[in-house]
Order: sequence, then C-alpha cells, then structure tokens
Amino acid sequence: MVQERRILYEHLDVPDINTFDVFRQYDGYTRFEKAIAEYQPDDVAKMVMDSGLKGRGGAGFSTGLKWSFVPKDIKPCYLCCNADESEPGTFSNRYVLEKNPHLLIEGILICCYAMGIETTYVYIRGEFTLGKKMLDAAIKEAYEKGYLGKDIRGTGLNVDIYSHPGAGAYICGEETGLIESLEGKRGQPRNKPPFPAVEGVFGKPTVVQNVETLCNLPFIIGNGVEWYTQMGPTYADTRANPPTPDPNTGTKLYCISGDVNEPGVYELDLGLTCSELIEVAGGLRGEEVKAVIPGGSSAPILTHYELDTRLDFTSLTLAKSMLGSGGIIVMNETRNIVDCLLNIMKFYAHESCGQCTPCRWGTPWVRDIVQRIADGNGRKDTMTRPKFGVAENGRWGDTGETEEIYEDLDLLESVANNIANVDTMTWNTICVFGIAVSWPAVSYMRKFRPEFEATIQEGKLVTLPVAEATVSPEENYAYQQRFVPKEFADL
Amino acid sequence: MSDALIQIETPFAFNEENQREFDGLIGRYPVKEAAMLPTLHLAQRQAGYITPAVMKYVAEQLEVSVMKVKDVVTFYPMFFEEPVGEYVIRICHTLPCALRDCKGVLEHLKAKLATDVASETNLAKGTTADGKFTLMKVECLASCDVAPVIMVNDDLYKNLTPEKVDELLAKLAS
Ligand SMILES: Cc1cc2nc3c(=O)[nH]c(=O)nc-3n(C[C@H](O)[C@H](O)[C@H](O)COP(=O)(O)O)c2cc1C
Ligand code: SF4
Ligand code: FES
Repeated sequence: MVQERRILYEHLDVPDINTFDVFRQYDGYTRFEKAIAEYQPDDVAKMVMDSGLKGRGGAGFSTGLKWSFVPKDIKPCYLCCNADESEPGTFSNRYVLEKNPHLLIEGILICCYAMGIETTYVYIRGEFTLGKKMLDAAIKEAYEKGYLGKDIRGTGLNVDIYSHPGAGAYICGEETGLIESLEGKRGQPRNKPPFPAVEGVFGKPTVVQNVETLCNLPFIIGNGVEWYTQMGPTYADTRANPPTPDPNTGTKLYCISGDVNEPGVYELDLGLTCSELIEVAGGLRGEEVKAVIPGGSSAPILTHYELDTRLDFTSLTLAKSMLGSGGIIVMNETRNIVDCLLNIMKFYAHESCGQCTPCRWGTPWVRDIVQRIADGNGRKDTMTRPKFGVAENGRWGDTGETEEIYEDLDLLESVANNIANVDTMTWNTICVFGIAVSWPAVSYMRKFRPEFEATIQEGKLVTLPVAEATVSPEENYAYQQRFVPKEFADL
Repeated sequence: MSDALIQIETPFAFNEENQREFDGLIGRYPVKEAAMLPTLHLAQRQAGYITPAVMKYVAEQLEVSVMKVKDVVTFYPMFFEEPVGEYVIRICHTLPCALRDCKGVLEHLKAKLATDVASETNLAKGTTADGKFTLMKVECLASCDVAPVIMVNDDLYKNLTPEKVDELLAKLAS
C-alpha cells in the first residue's frame, strides 16, 4: 500500500507546536535563516521555479512562473495568502492554521525575502475563528522573537503580516475577489488582465498564494530542489517540440471525505491513483464506488471506470477533470447522482457573486432544472431523433438508432455551456466560477445520463446500480473528443 | 443615501476595548476603507447585528459613504441586518456533509428548537421564540472529514448525531 509521506504535516500533532519554542525545536525558522544566509533573493525564486512547485489552491499554476511575472521596479509589492478555503471537500489549510501556524509564517517570510515584499495579508475565511486566533498568536510571538517587523535578525529585512477575516462568501477565494474583499468592497472578481501579479491589491503588484503552497517553501529551501523533485512524477509535455518537462512534484495534502471509512487529510506524493487513495483512507464505506469528485466540488466527476486515474495536475487535466484544491469526495453505490448534483448546484447558485448575467441567472436556472428533475417533473419530449453516440468509426456520431428527447437534459447542458463552455473551455463570465458551475453540471449529466433519464422517466429519484447508471468509457471518451479533429484526438 | 433617509434608533459607538482594537486595525492598510470587514466584525460583536446606526458609524470611521458600507454588509452572509439569537447555529449542508446525513441532524434541530431555518432575508424565521437560538444553513465549513458539522457561534461541533445534538442543546440551555 502507498505510504503517507508527512512533510508539511510531519509535526502537526506535536503538542504545543503552535508555540515558537516548540516549533523552533523542530527546525522552525532555520530554513528561513538558511535562505537569508546562503541565498540571494533571486536564487530563492530560482529554486522555487526549479522545484516545479505548482499552486495548491485550485488553478495549479507554477509558483515560480507566477513570481517571474511580478515587475521588479514597482514598490510596494504585496503578498496575499489565500486562507479562504471554502471549496466544498477541502479542509487541509484549516489544520495548518489551527495547529502549526508558525510553518505558514516561515513560508511567508521566505516568499517575502525572494520577492522583496514587506507586507503580507493572510485572508482567512470568517468562519475560521480558531484558526485566526492561533495565527494571530503566532504572529505576535514571531514579532516578539524578532522574526517579523523591522530589520529582522539584523538583516535589514522588514516584513509585516496581518490577518484579515472574510465574512462567509465563497467567491472571495478567487484571487481577484479576494483582493476586492481585502480592499473593503464586495468580493466581486475583476476582469483579467491586468493580473494581480502586475496590478493587484491597492493597485500594486500582488502575489496571491494558497496556504499549502507557502508551507512547501521551507522544505524546498531546507532540503534542496533535488530532494523535492524526487517526490511525485515529472511527465514530458509532448505538445512542445522538443518535449518540455511537466513537473508534478512534491506532496499534496489530499482531503478525502464522503463514503470512506477514515476521512481526513493524507499527505502523499502527488501521482497516486484514485483507488490507492481510497485504500489509504481506510477503504470504501459501502460495496462499490459509484463516483469520485477529484478536486473539490468544481471538478468534473470521475466514474468507477476512471479510478486508475492518477491524482496529479497533469493526469487529471488529461482526464478532462482537475486536481483543483485536492478535495476528494467519494460516493458509493447508494448515492443518487441527480441528488448530488442538486446539492452542488444549490451551493453555486447561492455563491455566485452576481456580476455577470450568464452566471447570475444561469446558475440558478441550472439549479432549478436539476431540482425539477429531482422532484420528478423533468420534461421529456414525445418525439424522437437520430441517436448520437459512438459511431462505427469509434468517434462521436450518428449511431443509426433513434433516441427519445429528454428536453430538460438538453436544456441543462445548453444553459451550463452558455455560462462557460466545457468543450471549448471559453467562458462568458468574468471569473472561472462559471466553469466551476458548468463542469459539474455537464459532467454529472453526461457520465451518469442513464440515472438522469430514469429519474425523468419514472417521475421520481431513481438510483440505478453502478454499472447501469454509468455511461461506457468509450462513449464518454468519444463525447469528450467530439470537436477534436481525428489526427489530434489522442494528444 | 442622505442621512435623513436613515432611521437611527440607538446611536452606536465603539466601547473602549473595541476602539483600541479598531485603532490597531486601521494602521494595517494604506487606505482606511480596507479595514471594512474587520471593523464590521468588531461592530457586530458589540451591537449583535448591523443596525443603520452601526453602518453610519462605520462609514464615518472609515471615511466612506453609508451606501458603501451597506453595499458590503448585504454582500457577505456573516453580517446580520436583523437581530439574531444568543446562539447562532450554523449547520453545513453541502455535499460531504449531506453524504453523512446532515439532513437528519437538521430535522432534529428543527424539531428540538421548534423553529424553521433562517433565510438570509428573514433571520426571524429561524430564531426561537425566546430569542436564544437562530438556526441557519451554511455552505461547507471546511471540516468535511468530521461531517456532519455545526458551528455554534465561534465553536465547531463534529461528527454530529441526534444524541450529540441533544447533549449540546442541554448544555447551552443551562
Ligand atoms: C471560484 C473560485 C474559488 C476559489 N477558492 C479558493 C480558495 O478557497 N482557496 C484558495 O487557496 N484558492 C482558491 N481559488 C484559487 C485562487 O483563485 C488562486 O488561484 C489561488 O489562491 C492561487 O494560489 P496558488 O497558486 O498558491 O494555488 C479559487 C478560485 C476560484 C475561481
Ligand atoms: S462568473 Fe459568477 S462569480 Fe465570477 S464574477 Fe461573474 S457573476 Fe461573479
Ligand atoms: S461539507 Fe460540511 S464541512 Fe465541508
């Protein structure tokens, strides 16, 4: 069985690790000291680039690359630590804040040193009262011990960290929503560009980084790039010529919840498969896996055919899903996918910030369609049409058969795709919340279409056995590839 | 909105302790307006909910219009514009909690407290007659590993069952 490799979480359960003295006993702040003693700021940035570290907050964007976009000549530059953690199924940042806040401070210090940043805001979701209390206490202690404030350890380095509470809006996790919220406004995301790296909070260059991403920095500096890159797979991106390395390095704090025996946070090297993770989390609670959400509720769902998918950034992108925040939600054979989608759509309809018309109206519309289906009032036409599916050539096309028209399923897909189109990956909205709505909506419906059809047909929620509820991998693949010219289909 | 349009029941001002905390906050940001959310949290803790007088006071302190404060207050679910109970019970009902039967816990709470669930525009609907509890549904509280969960004011309660709810309510009522 795959073994846990605790790095970020290694000392999490040490008593009083939240205090400076105990943290110090476990190498606390020595990595920061090493950075300022041995490396120039640019060296640190280069190490982070070479480590292949990708953002753990959702987008999975290379951290080193993000830093390289920040203009060097505009000061001040800010760091915003994203501790808004509100993606359903994600709960790893909470434990860092509540149990080991000094680790985050050390990570922040390293980032500030590398980027020449003097002010950091940690945006903590409003419900994390304990987390904020612990972090505030740790910040206070770090000031007293001379690791924050002016002229840190006699190096001339100045760093201030302030915690800033949110107030219950999911959209403030989106980086520009966070920035607006931090400025004291409604947390409504901004149009990009300009990207925060160029023009962020208070009109200045801003680095936005997730808690877990920052907590990786002490270990990259302390143990070196070579040590770090040994963990997790590095693929070759064959779209480039010559192929470029595509690193998925480091460990990930996988949060697993739902139908497993031991839900929790497991720190493992990136790249284990879905079924391995379920095994690590004490195995499935139930008989059979019906579906797995691999990266927080925004991620497209995986079926039981896809459990061999490796849970890393690249593999999940190739599987037309995403690692996102690393929140894995497992559903067993007793679950009804229509019902699950309804729950998620209620979440998104509630959390849309309301700026863009497609999202403001489309999201509740999708919710209402799913509600109607779940209530047993899903609409079905009396006419039939040619059935599209896996055609003779193995690609998506006319199968020569006819099918009944499920009006509400067509409508669901059409409304969702008009918020953000999951095939072309283009969105009619300001932020990618739109994709986070249409991804689950379309993927649940497409991959578990028989269950949706049966529910409409019967006029009540019908839970089909797993094999019957799921469309075949061939059909799923053909559908996903239907706009891709044949010669590119396997890239 | 001009001041004349706002009905001001009881004037509001920070008490000494909160004033000190507020003074500490304001220095953290290059513009005063940025202290909006922490200031509103502070004010809500003191006043119980955000009254028009609170908004006016906060607007003066941060040198912005009252409308701007109202704009923010209406956006964030954690700010209340109506009175709430002494204990605000937030029950999570997002998918991972739903997979662990948060519905059962919710129904039990509703029955025990003899109240409905508050909606964002009608908090009274979820407030018990004695004004002790307000019951509201919230989205994922980032504790799905210990689902189902509720928050009572600032405290999180994990792995809930109807029995645990009974114990908790008994403790709070005493
Ligand atoms: C709707 C939405 C919600 C998000 N919520 C969070 C969140 O709660 N926490 C987080 O760290 N990132 C969240 N993100 C991702 C951030 O926009 C951003 O990519 C991230 O904080 C960057 O940090 P990283 O590169 O370290 O991951 C969210 C993005 C979107 C579109
Ligand atoms: S897509 Fe939705 S959440 Fe994002 S800015 Fe537009 S309305 Fe707001
Ligand atoms: S879904 Fe309830 S805590 Fe995450």
